Amino acid sequence: MLRGRVLRGWMLRGQVLRSAEPVAPRGGIRQKPPHTVTESAERNGPATKMKPVDPRLLRYAGAARGFFALAGAIGVLQTAVVIAFAWFLTDAITGALAGRGIGGSLIWLLVLALIRGALIAASDAAGSAAAAKTGMQLRSALVRAVGRLGPGWLAQRNQASLAVTAGHGLEALDQYFARYLPQLVLTVIATPVLVAVMWWQDWPSGIIAVITLPLIPVFMILIGMATRGVQRTQWQTLQRLAVRFADTVQGLSTLRLFGRERRAVSQIEATAEQYRRETMKVLRYSFLSGFALELLSSLAVALIAVAVGFRLLAGDLSLEIGLFVLLLAPEAFLPIRQVGVQFHAASEGVAATEDIFAVLDEAAAVHDSGDSVAQAAVRPVSGPARADSPELCVRGLRVRDLPPVTFTARPGTITLVEGPSGSGKSSLLAALRGAVDYSGSATFGDSLDSRDTRDSLGDLRDPAPLDRRDVRGRAPSDWLAWAGQAPGLVKGTIAANVALGDAAPSAAAIRRALDAACAPELDPAQPLGVQGAGLSGGQAQRVAVARALYRHAADPSRVLMLDEPSSALDPDTESRLWRTLRELADAGATILLVSHRRTARAVADTVITLAAESRRKTADGAAL
Amino acid sequence: MNAPDLLRLAQPPARRFVPALIWGVLSAAAAVSLLAVSGWLIVSASIVDSLVPLSVAVVGVRFFAVSRAVFRYLERLSGHDAALRQLAKTRSGMVDELVPLSPAGLGGTDRGQVLSALVDDVENLQNLPLRVVQPLATAGVVALGAVGFIAFVSAPAALTLLACLVVAAAVAIGLGWVFGSRAERALSRQRAELSAALVDYFGSLDVLLAFGAEPQARERIEQADVRLRRTATRASFAQASAAGVLSVLAGAASVWALAVASPGLATGAIDGPWLAVVVLVPMVVFEVFGAVPIAAASWRSVRASAERIADVLPAHVPEELRADAGDDTAPRTAAVRLSDVHAHWPGGAPALRGVSLELAPGERVHVSGPSGAGKSSLAAVLVGFLRAEGGFTIGGTDAAQLSGPALRRTIGLCEQHPQLFDEDIRQNLLFARDTATDDELFAVLERVGLREWVRERGGLDARVGDRGALVSGGQAQRIALARALLRGFPVLVLDEPTAGVDAEASDALLRDLLGAAGEQSVLLISHVEPPAGSVDRVVRIEAGRTL
Repeated sequence: MLRGRVLRGWMLRGQVLRSAEPVAPRGGIRQKPPHTVTESAERNGPATKMKPVDPRLLRYAGAARGFFALAGAIGVLQTAVVIAFAWFLTDAITGALAGRGIGGSLIWLLVLALIRGALIAASDAAGSAAAAKTGMQLRSALVRAVGRLGPGWLAQRNQASLAVTAGHGLEALDQYFARYLPQLVLTVIATPVLVAVMWWQDWPSGIIAVITLPLIPVFMILIGMATRGVQRTQWQTLQRLAVRFADTVQGLSTLRLFGRERRAVSQIEATAEQYRRETMKVLRYSFLSGFALELLSSLAVALIAVAVGFRLLAGDLSLEIGLFVLLLAPEAFLPIRQVGVQFHAASEGVAATEDIFAVLDEAAAVHDSGDSVAQAAVRPVSGPARADSPELCVRGLRVRDLPPVTFTARPGTITLVEGPSGSGKSSLLAALRGAVDYSGSATFGDSLDSRDTRDSLGDLRDPAPLDRRDVRGRAPSDWLAWAGQAPGLVKGTIAANVALGDAAPSAAAIRRALDAACAPELDPAQPLGVQGAGLSGGQAQRVAVARALYRHAADPSRVLMLDEPSSALDPDTESRLWRTLRELADAGATILLVSHRRTARAVADTVITLAAESRRKTADGAAL
Repeated sequence: MNAPDLLRLAQPPARRFVPALIWGVLSAAAAVSLLAVSGWLIVSASIVDSLVPLSVAVVGVRFFAVSRAVFRYLERLSGHDAALRQLAKTRSGMVDELVPLSPAGLGGTDRGQVLSALVDDVENLQNLPLRVVQPLATAGVVALGAVGFIAFVSAPAALTLLACLVVAAAVAIGLGWVFGSRAERALSRQRAELSAALVDYFGSLDVLLAFGAEPQARERIEQADVRLRRTATRASFAQASAAGVLSVLAGAASVWALAVASPGLATGAIDGPWLAVVVLVPMVVFEVFGAVPIAAASWRSVRASAERIADVLPAHVPEELRADAGDDTAPRTAAVRLSDVHAHWPGGAPALRGVSLELAPGERVHVSGPSGAGKSSLAAVLVGFLRAEGGFTIGGTDAAQLSGPALRRTIGLCEQHPQLFDEDIRQNLLFARDTATDDELFAVLERVGLREWVRERGGLDARVGDRGALVSGGQAQRIALARALLRGFPVLVLDEPTAGVDAEASDALLRDLLGAAGEQSVLLISHVEPPAGSVDRVVRIEAGRTL
């Protein structure tokens, strides 16, 4: 009666079928390289231990704290209403039997039923609202934490599964807040109060409740421990089965190419059938914990009813008290039964929060180091602060154990960086962007040559010191126009991608940038999907190059830095791109180009060759 | 396949499903009876002074207390058994449907996403028996049974219970329907938006930082979140009010039953103990009935999944795709000739507009051309994923006469993004030829330059990870090639093998791939120039035509 929906979860709780959904379903990304965030979720089969309430939830999500207070208040009121309802119902029934007028009691009962309904609705709504709010708080905290940890950290994680955990994973919190926590609160509030009332009214019934109630968790824990290992294995098998299905669907074209499509179908059936037989063996035991819970709570009611009946027969007890106690008994067991029922559904949401807490803890640890790039002030995209392109000076820059690099990229030139794979070309660019730590120095600003020129002309009227700035700690958007090997496009139009970060984009400049990047056929208004879906690899790469060219055109005092911009281009298009770069350089731009193409040498003014890495190359020759 | 067919596919047949239903009804009935008999016993005990008339009730109370748990246990066992049996059938049935459509008939550039959404929806279909049909059927049977039973005791009380149940069902389902289904559509859209914003943020963080667009991207996530939260709160309000209304009606049913039945005490139409039964039964019936709004919500979600799947699966295989039926004998030689071949993507978009090409046995031909020129369409035509219009012969035989499998025994394809299965390397190779010995596997790995790499990773038992997540793009291509070599296709098509490979590694990869192919004919589709001297001829495609 505390909640009008007692048995539902019981039949559905789907120890088996609910968990058939892998932890990271939507988006279909189930990659699990060594560092995945879903790792702990994967370990946490339904049989693993879950703390009733994770203290970190209260720490990281303010909404969760407020919800506990609210749930407590609602719980107290619900308990009072339950007792009052049972009392007035007893009164009405015994009144009717005694021939008294029961109109007053009936009206009270209706009022109480209304209040009870309102409380249930309030508890439900509060739970869902708290779940949504907590999800939002955690998500936003996670995004901030990742922004703080930076791309260097993110590169070692499975980004896709992190996104899935933060999105779909946190939605499972609804089960936790709207179903599980209110029952947990009620177990703490309602169950002791109701047992106390029963004891006060009729102590033998109270004793039966006090003896049977603790047996429920004891049996559930015992059975849970006995079946935990088997259950986990089963859960993993089930995961594997789900993955295999996903694998088969994704790989159907490959299976057809090898003439294996029919066999894949029969294999799915055969393994699922074998799995069913094994699972049913296990379920026979694991459903025992539910059985114990049901049996003990209904046996307790039965024991109380029969005992009350005998004492009524003997005349030791009044009907009022007997009926009252009978009505209270199931209510005392209801919350604890519900906790058991909701436990597994709730654990999914908890698994997602655990993954997020791990990231938040990690971010909290680096919080004070202060080299956060994300927080740096952002300079407006256009409106050159200085008309000239800067000179980029790199002195002894060293990433990890790679050999140090020294060079100067001058305005009006193309500086080509080349070298075998693993020599640190991309790492050099990452260091300049502030994405990895490095030693040595990198500065940009007034050309040293220009001072020399001025001095030699004897121009002493302008004694302004050289304006040179350190790259370190500076937001890359301040001084760079960069295109990396991965296009990194986002959902939105092509125009929005090209003018990324520009609050006042210029349509004409977007068109010019696309044309310059050899993508005249692309329509700026074309909408793209997530991560630029809808473009071929070559097109996406050219949009990324256009984005860098747009940024550079808006303010030529930025260094243009391109990492393998032609890797997905055919030779004709590539040579057009090289011409574009040459023209930009001739107009005064400072260009840093990474390319392994032989044709790039022809267009470059300076070639920096990075020394081969001493470590042995991988079979692919493609270590970073 | 339409949505009703899909739902039928997900629902176990009656002979599997009915036992679970029976146990479920019995368990719910035992719960109702437990409280009814207890109430009857207590009130009787206060009236009579002999144990004899009560002894049956005492036995009844104990019996129902135990049987409720036993029946529930049996219900869960048989329900899960039926659902697990159906799970296999649903999955394999779905794969059966997808085979003739794959890959060209399934989504365009976002095929991967379409398929993973489909997989999720198929998983969701499995909720139909356990979370929709079973609770609804149990609640319905028990509710009607209780009304019928009370009708024997007190007709007016039965009518009031029936009225309350009908109102409850209408409110629970109606409220969910009015608020829920609209909100759910908005929800799924907003969820997709949020997840897109998250994927973009995490996937492009370095770019966002480098372009100073990180705050906007974060704001995009927050806005999507706020919108989602607003809708979710609205939707949960419907659910919460349904639960509240149900609880009010449960109370009202008891109160009303007491009001209409108690006058019967004076006339002798009902006695005290039965009055208690009439008042207590509605309380438990409504407990069972509480499953209805939840089941209704599950039903909406299952139906939405079925509709989404139906949207992906066309009613007929589109005629732009090639049917698999045909002659199963292998063509005499591996000489491939295309003359003025046209092809279309499902929906009619032209894929090829006149391709002529010859590939003599043992020849290496490089197909070049800008992106979007139809190079991958050519590969799809050659392996029979798209229907070729025009002359396509293999060893003089019209390729259209061959069955799909026979065609694909002659012409093999290494796809642009080769699918590795989440197994060990041995399984990923053996599925090309399951009789191969480990020595043969190592020999073929040697040919593609992976022998040492596999050794270092712990041999053939090393896993490749989910969709090859643990291997780089280059290695995945090499494994895919090893697989194709093991199969021994007389003609091998390599579609952009350097697509997922670091720019600087592609030369080495191409050289190795072409070198490993041996005496097979190879059609290399690539925008990257292969190393000098590694191919015999270059054919250029532009705008779907050979030049």
